Amino acid sequence: MASYRTQVRIIADVLSTARDMNIEGNGVGVTMLLRKGNMSYSRMSKLLSELVGSGLILELSGDKISKYMISDKGIQFLEAYYQFEDFAQSFGLRL
Amino acid sequence: MAQPANLEVIGDVLQFIGVFVSFSIAYVAYRGVRQTQSSSLTRLATAFVFLGLGFAVEGVVGLGQVIPSLTFSTMVVVAGLLLETMGYFFLAFSHAIDVMISKKMGVALLMFPVISLTGAQLVDVLSILSFYFVLYGVVETVYSYVRTRKPDTLLIALGLAMIGIGTFIQWLSLLYLNVDVLSLLQIITKEIGLLILFTPVLRFTVGGAKLDGIV
Repeated sequence: MASYRTQVRIIADVLSTARDMNIEGNGVGVTMLLRKGNMSYSRMSKLLSELVGSGLILELSGDKISKYMISDKGIQFLEAYYQFEDFAQSFGLRL
Repeated sequence: MAQPANLEVIGDVLQFIGVFVSFSIAYVAYRGVRQTQSSSLTRLATAFVFLGLGFAVEGVVGLGQVIPSLTFSTMVVVAGLLLETMGYFFLAFSHAIDVMISKKMGVALLMFPVISLTGAQLVDVLSILSFYFVLYGVVETVYSYVRTRKPDTLLIALGLAMIGIGTFIQWLSLLYLNVDVLSLLQIITKEIGLLILFTPVLRFTVGGAKLDGIV
């Protein structure tokens, strides 16, 4: 059964994509984030600007398109997220 | 065979262990709220704050039976039970909201006891409600285990089941007022349940996450 994702889950999904798909070390494009994040372009743009603003993700400006890379703060957030997700799941709850 | 006064002391010590365990779980959940702003963890933290406060009040009332100079009115006893029941309500409520988000029907089940238990005495009602809420929590946690197959979830379901048995014995102890052992037994059963609930907290502390202020 499909289930709703909470906002924090969506953030964690975007951050984990930015971390895992950054294989060459020069960031991940919006297309890849959209594909893995499963959301509309306008919603992703808004979320990315919020994540950049809060320092969880870094924007690498290229000639034509921007690429995104997870920051150290973002990695710390993800670690915390997975720990608390594990804690919530122990009680049978979703984060 | 332990004397009733000794049973009261043992029961009281166990109540205060319950206070510590409840507030520890609430603290970890609260840290989670600060980090992730999760509403599930907010409800979990609220549940264990209420449980901790309830156990604290019941523990202080229990001191009154050990130290004769301390006397408390029945309303204080009711207040303790009410806080505890509120804690169990928020535990069940966490699951009910989770169920609603998953588009399942669970809220109707949660509303049932309010309709069916009017007219009984207040303390009895609170005990029965506590039992009902914990039972609901057990069922939902077992459902979660079936979904995630996470051993910790099954352990928490077991802990909640022990607390449920404890609340049921608590209700029995109200019916059979002269049986002191029942009163101690309900506290012991609840404490075992609470200590089982403490397991994820222990692992969390060992993990040593110092992650405040990221979000």
